Amino acid sequence: MRMTRLRRHTSSLALIAAASLLCTQAQAAETGPSVLQNKCMGCHLPEGNDTYSRISHQRKTPEGWLMSIGRMQTMHGLKISDDDRRTLVKYLADRQGLAPSETEGVRYAMERRLNTVEHFDAKLSETCGRCHSGARVALQRRPAKEWEHLVNFHLGQWPSLEYQAQSRDRDWLPIALNEMVPELAKRFALETPAWADWQKARPKAEVLAGQWSFSGHMLTKGDVRGVMTVGSAEGDGFKVDIKGSYADGTPFQGSGSAILYNGYEWRGNVKVGDTTMRQVFAALDGEMKGRMYEADHDERGLDFTAAKEGKARLLAVQPSFIKAGSETELTLVGSGLSGKPDLGAGIEVTHVLASSANEVRVKARAAVDAAPGVREISQGALKGVNLTVYDKVEEVKVVPAFSIARIGENGGSTPKVQGRFEAEAWGKDAKGEPLRIGYLPAQWSVEPYNERAEEDEDVKFAGQMQDNGIFVPGGAGPNPERRMMTNNAGNLKVIAKLEDGGQQGEGHLIVTVQRWNNPPLP
Amino acid sequence: MKHLKPLNNKAQILEQAVAQDRVEEVVAMSAVAGCTATTDPGWEVDAFGGVSSLCQPMEADLYGCSDPCWWPAQVPDMMSTYQDWNAQATNSQEDWRNLGTVFPKDK
Repeated sequence: MRMTRLRRHTSSLALIAAASLLCTQAQAAETGPSVLQNKCMGCHLPEGNDTYSRISHQRKTPEGWLMSIGRMQTMHGLKISDDDRRTLVKYLADRQGLAPSETEGVRYAMERRLNTVEHFDAKLSETCGRCHSGARVALQRRPAKEWEHLVNFHLGQWPSLEYQAQSRDRDWLPIALNEMVPELAKRFALETPAWADWQKARPKAEVLAGQWSFSGHMLTKGDVRGVMTVGSAEGDGFKVDIKGSYADGTPFQGSGSAILYNGYEWRGNVKVGDTTMRQVFAALDGEMKGRMYEADHDERGLDFTAAKEGKARLLAVQPSFIKAGSETELTLVGSGLSGKPDLGAGIEVTHVLASSANEVRVKARAAVDAAPGVREISQGALKGVNLTVYDKVEEVKVVPAFSIARIGENGGSTPKVQGRFEAEAWGKDAKGEPLRIGYLPAQWSVEPYNERAEEDEDVKFAGQMQDNGIFVPGGAGPNPERRMMTNNAGNLKVIAKLEDGGQQGEGHLIVTVQRWNNPPLP
Repeated sequence: MKHLKPLNNKAQILEQAVAQDRVEEVVAMSAVAGCTATTDPGWEVDAFGGVSSLCQPMEADLYGCSDPCWWPAQVPDMMSTYQDWNAQATNSQEDWRNLGTVFPKDK
């Protein structure tokens, strides 16, 4: 072991010296292979054809590679400029990424949907999910040897994981090495048909340039729509302009840039007003889908779908529900829209207020006796979007049903992580089955979740629920006014009371402490 | 459980949860992406799905937990990876405002 290390270091020193001679040349080129060679070969053994020990036997998302390089910086003293790190992430994510189908069901981690309740099998949850998300694992591909290295690395770096793994009650290491490793190697294998196929079918970045009509929804703010203009590709980089507005008329406009990784992983930075927002989308077959969120407050984000000009598609109807016997304004959003809207049985379009290729705004009336239920609407020949007709609200669910907010600020370095809630109304369809209606305006309040929360006065200390469904947590730090000077944490019920009708629903909100280690994948 | 008697409050709450057959429910509810709840105690959420059994105020014994890397995914482990994390905050209760997050972001 010692000899191997020594030999590696000696050879790497020689290489570093050689590399520094070529420094100016390397700086001019700065391609992925040259950064790999200059920055990684000090420790990773070359295996020929731009491949290296460890590195070349894994596949990851752009975020996964960023975390690996970040780990080399914090644990192994790697010195790398931001530019070189970006080059390296791009090179590795392109060359050793995941096929689109391999990210299905776990994109929430890249999209920073941190209130997602994970559902992995018991073994993966117990082995990996006690400390971090299961998605962090499910977004990697490795052969058995590399999964084994990962187990050993965890044990060496964080020895007290023995306790987390409940080593006092079970022989956890043989379970991890002999059961978990083969299972991971099979489930998340390095070589897969999906990856082989994707490498052959990967589209060129140029196809993304053009106009994209988008539709979205931000919790507590409402529906949003507009047009995103993607400039012509420079390599895999793009200029991005967004012109749109929320349903309440607030402008949603800005500009920035984006990079395409691995033919479909779209990562943008767009300044909307004074706020930088990140875009994490999958761009496939003339569609983009994902989440756009504030860079400094990832809890503030919107679900986003977009369709490219030239591919006629109906994306959404905003709002997506109408009450029987009422008249309301609806907006159909898509690209290449033409022809007449048809909103289904019992719903009449009384006026077409405005019509363009991306938006058709209409006044619609639902008959008093329109059967409650879901209808597929159409615009010309386009279909694929549903409108819900309801007669009355039977139940209210708070979305998200379970969530985490975090104390912050108060002179400290971490921001407060807010809770953001909407009231999801449910009715019954004509057959008496539960029918999701959509988000309706509500009055908001919080209550102690249980006796203990009442005793500890969590409602008083943990933060403030605002009228708009935004919960602003309390300040960080020990609070001398609380028993034992404890933090402003709390265990709360979130109560929504519909403005129209007064039906109530409740959710569960944990207000807790700061997260000090907050990498791109939770 | 019938040969074990709960001696403190926490053990009594756990016994109640077991009696009500609610242990599984509590654990499932707590497991949002990236939070540690099923370690006991977790960082964000305790084993009962609340916050009253957490080590709080966390500033009181923060380094007693970050030294042996109790929650390395949430709190920088000072044993191996971030030995100088608290260089500007040696008294956590007084100096917690000097602590920062650790992922090396682009500048």
